[in-house]
Amino acid sequence: MTVKHPGSRIALAVAALSLLLVGRADAAGDARKLLIEAENRHRTRTLQYSGELTVVNKDGKVRKKGWKSFREGYAGDAKDLVRFTDPPEVKGVGFLSLARPGKPADQWLYLPSMKRERRIASQDRDASFVGTDFNYEDMEEFDHKKYEVESKGEQLQDGHPCYVIEARPDVNGGKSVYEKKILYLRKDILYLVREDLHRKGEKEPGKRLLLSDIRNIEGHWVAMRLEMTDLKKGSRTTVFMKEIVFDRPQPAGRFTLRNLNREGGE
Amino acid sequence: MAEGFSGYAEVKGFTFAERASDRDPRALGWATLFAKGERKLGDSRFTASARAEEISSRERGPLVFDPADRDARRTPVSVRDLWMRLPLTSSVDLQLGRFELGWGKTDGYSPADAFLPRDLSDPFADEKLPLWAARLSGQRGPLRVEAVACPVTTPWRLPVLGGRNAPLSTGLPIGKVGIEDKENAPPRDGFGALRLLATFGNWDLGVWGRFGVRPAPLLVFRTDLASLGPSGPTVPVERRYAREQGAGVEVSLVAGSWVLRGETAALFSGDPGLGNALVGTLSAERGFGDGTLLVTLAGNAKDTPVDATFLFDRALLPVLIVAWNRTEAWGNWKVVWTEALKHGDGLLKAEVGYNATDFWSLTLGGELPYGSEKGPLGALHAARRAHLALRRSW
Repeated sequence: MTVKHPGSRIALAVAALSLLLVGRADAAGDARKLLIEAENRHRTRTLQYSGELTVVNKDGKVRKKGWKSFREGYAGDAKDLVRFTDPPEVKGVGFLSLARPGKPADQWLYLPSMKRERRIASQDRDASFVGTDFNYEDMEEFDHKKYEVESKGEQLQDGHPCYVIEARPDVNGGKSVYEKKILYLRKDILYLVREDLHRKGEKEPGKRLLLSDIRNIEGHWVAMRLEMTDLKKGSRTTVFMKEIVFDRPQPAGRFTLRNLNREGGE
Repeated sequence: MAEGFSGYAEVKGFTFAERASDRDPRALGWATLFAKGERKLGDSRFTASARAEEISSRERGPLVFDPADRDARRTPVSVRDLWMRLPLTSSVDLQLGRFELGWGKTDGYSPADAFLPRDLSDPFADEKLPLWAARLSGQRGPLRVEAVACPVTTPWRLPVLGGRNAPLSTGLPIGKVGIEDKENAPPRDGFGALRLLATFGNWDLGVWGRFGVRPAPLLVFRTDLASLGPSGPTVPVERRYAREQGAGVEVSLVAGSWVLRGETAALFSGDPGLGNALVGTLSAERGFGDGTLLVTLAGNAKDTPVDATFLFDRALLPVLIVAWNRTEAWGNWKVVWTEALKHGDGLLKAEVGYNATDFWSLTLGGELPYGSEKGPLGALHAARRAHLALRRSW
């Protein structure tokens, strides 16, 4: 029997802790590098598309909505404008989101019935976006700079090997409605194909976003189908993207409050 | 989005708890057909819409040509939109024609909206009236500007005076003394207004000014012209329109989960029956799940030179409004509580909407005015009602 000196135990513990910390640092560093690379690969100057959106509630009742979406910038500097086109109850509803570095995006909703915009409080972003399973925070693109990230290994998703990365909101990135997000990046194209979203205090994800039917359009990878499932409510919202155009110059003033308030504007 | 036709057809039925006079029916029906067409030509946009209505009450007027909605009663057919918008530069638009305008930041009551015409034919619905105007709007960086020139007055449309829907706490024994709603032609002149807005981080700031004719009428009870008829004494009521200048400040702030808003307006008039006013509102709004809770306080710091009832729009102030609405998987619901703090009267409203499909909806609601009949809401006690509406949209 070998009796270890107490000092050697401490040394072992320090070494193990160091290894663990180094490992975590590497995991964080690798994850950050992957996210930076993914962002660089998929960054486009602008994107516009028409969306067909289907909401299926837990009883199987189906609601359909149509929208047009315009984006300029990407992730941390993105400006987004969404305008609903049907059904009549939401026609003309507009949504403007302007990213702010290190902070939650500025967001406004235009309601035609009120003839003016309403500001969305930054901590009120868990509210449903126009009756869908997306909330206001989900409408922002993922910006890795607002998160502490850590690699969680690899996993298959739809038969594709994926990097799994855990992202926790950074205190300097502004408050999030989520405690953590588990991101699945396809290894071959570094494209985000799944997000498991954990609200505060949830051990299991409360929502899941799946991106599928990934095609290469104009040299850019893009998921034609996005499905957000509320795993607790049992409802899901599916977006089918159509008429996708990249890098078309957007009119000056499209991403402004003045334009959001223009009835029938785009 | 920019082109197409839309609209709805709706039938609505009301049943009332009581009658203010023999002329008030126990139940009434209201049918509406609304159609809207939108078209984009180049960078310009054209919109036209019209509404046809049938109301089984005295709120509906005769079929007359009334393009500016200046008639005291709703005409069966009216133009709601007829406007074009021309971009003058990439950041400046000119809108011309007939359209609705919304300025205020505070929901429930906003001093910035007080100069805009309202239709109180149904006092619980309180809808905006469109106006004929030219609007110039532009944005440069965080600064936005909006200028409105409205050449002709579209007056507030009041409920039938002497009926159950008119909140007149005049002290006159309504029902025993008849009120004759005189048709006074509103003045031709309209108003001009300018508004500047800016957004800095979590703050939104705004200032505005306006001058011209005030669209809310002053009521003149002509007791000197009272007459005695077979159904008892009748007092004629005339309407007068004063000129008024106003300036306002609005501030809103995103504070965590809340959006806080404050507005104040100083209103000046040389009219001895109107006088000056200093109207202020404070509101706090917060989202809860798929719903919103809104609390608004509104008041006038100056006493009116005449009974506030005769000013109609100011009769309600000071007031507390609490509104809670929520969207559900099956539809939506809302509850609104309005308390007029001066007389302790108030109004409870509740509504549940069921969306059978994306195009068919059924709405069930009720309005319960209560409290002192000396207050504007308590005076509506005979208007306690329930309503049911079926709508088909397209």
